[in-house]
Amino acid sequence: MSLIFRLAANRCCVNQILGDSKNGLSFIRPVTLKARSADVPREEGHDERNMKLGRPQSPHLTIYAPQLTSMLSITHRFTGMTLSAYTIALGLTAAASPELIPNAIENLECLQLGELAISALKFTLAFPLTYHFWNGIRHLIWDTGKFLTIREVYATGYLMLSLAVASAIVLSVL
Amino acid sequence: MSREMQLFKVCKGVLTGLQARNIHVTPAAFAAVAETKKAPRNKTFAVYRWNPDEPDKKPYMQEYTIDLNTCGPMVLDALIKIKNDVDTTLTFRRSCREGICGSCAMNIGGVNTLACISKIDASSGKATKIYPLPHMYVVKDLVPDMNNFYRQYKSIQPWLQRKDSKQKQTGGALQQDIQSIEERQRLDGLYECILCACCSTACPSYWWNGEKYLGPAVLMQAYRWIIDPKDAATAQRLDNLRDPFSVYRCHTIMNCTKTCPKGLNPGRAIAEIKKLLGGVAKKEEAKAVA
Repeated sequence: MSLIFRLAANRCCVNQILGDSKNGLSFIRPVTLKARSADVPREEGHDERNMKLGRPQSPHLTIYAPQLTSMLSITHRFTGMTLSAYTIALGLTAAASPELIPNAIENLECLQLGELAISALKFTLAFPLTYHFWNGIRHLIWDTGKFLTIREVYATGYLMLSLAVASAIVLSVL
Repeated sequence: MSREMQLFKVCKGVLTGLQARNIHVTPAAFAAVAETKKAPRNKTFAVYRWNPDEPDKKPYMQEYTIDLNTCGPMVLDALIKIKNDVDTTLTFRRSCREGICGSCAMNIGGVNTLACISKIDASSGKATKIYPLPHMYVVKDLVPDMNNFYRQYKSIQPWLQRKDSKQKQTGGALQQDIQSIEERQRLDGLYECILCACCSTACPSYWWNGEKYLGPAVLMQAYRWIIDPKDAATAQRLDNLRDPFSVYRCHTIMNCTKTCPKGLNPGRAIAEIKKLLGGVAKKEEAKAVA
């Protein structure tokens, strides 16, 4: 391409110098060439490229087998959220309601729910706390680099679960 | 002499009775015998399918039933059999068929593993489900796009970095840097990783933050180079990891170690990196070998 342009430009120059505009080449107009840097292909992001290609995302959460490792981990997060919710909800009601907490407890006792229902209620309050507490300790031990083989992860997992359930039961029958 | 002949005849009779009979049977008849002997052990595989040439068609599960009597023991054997005999369009990566290349990493029965070293579950009557590695872009069928994973591996500079190589060369006398057996053993359990990405794609944190979180496989290799007694770029390597995402999206879920087909422990390696980053632990420096 550049060769053609160069030839054309040369012819034009020659024509102009010779003052000869009637030799049949006058239809060629002078072309100005400008130097510019080459286009660098823009780097696409991984997501961008794949979405442009319309590639689907392989299934993940819905197909991965439930395992003790991931189940205990997600429960730790849920119990943490539950504890925050308890703290905020109970704290706000305690602050907002004109009644005092002993009054509220008395009201609850007056409802005559029965011992089992009271214990169940206490358990729902206690279990997130005990679970988060014992599993938190497990995580702290992990952060020191200990008990991190799969056998130990499973052993401490079952130990933590039984401790959490046992201590929650103890708290709920108190 | 006659007694020996008699003994020989008896032996021959026993042999013929036991096994030699089949040798003289025609192949077709032999096949017939084999077929009547073995009842077909049918096994169904449900395989994830998606074809880029049919972009309007959503990904779907396709079921294939094969007879395990005519198939090798591993899931990869079944996939190869399906591709050879049933459906040539089925696409998957495979190479070494012995668990050393990491090509055939996929999600089999809900767990990430290598198809070539995972046995077919013949006892269960249910179909075995086979998906590509989870939360990856699918190129076709069971082939995921690994570019992001490889880019991340490159980002940790997985090669030996030393400060003295130039000096030693220009100094004239090149010296061998002898390593003790004990120092070499520190790399055991780390260097065996085949980068199949089973662990990374089993990690929920990597699913949600795969662009910025490096994932267990890459982090274990980062750790392998950080603690390498011969490597001198330890501080710089650690500094490269010092941000909220690269390492700290690990929440010790331990799906990685649970799923590793090579039995390695990426979860522990990440915990050790965290210790080094937090200044709780220090790299053991190389000692001169006498």
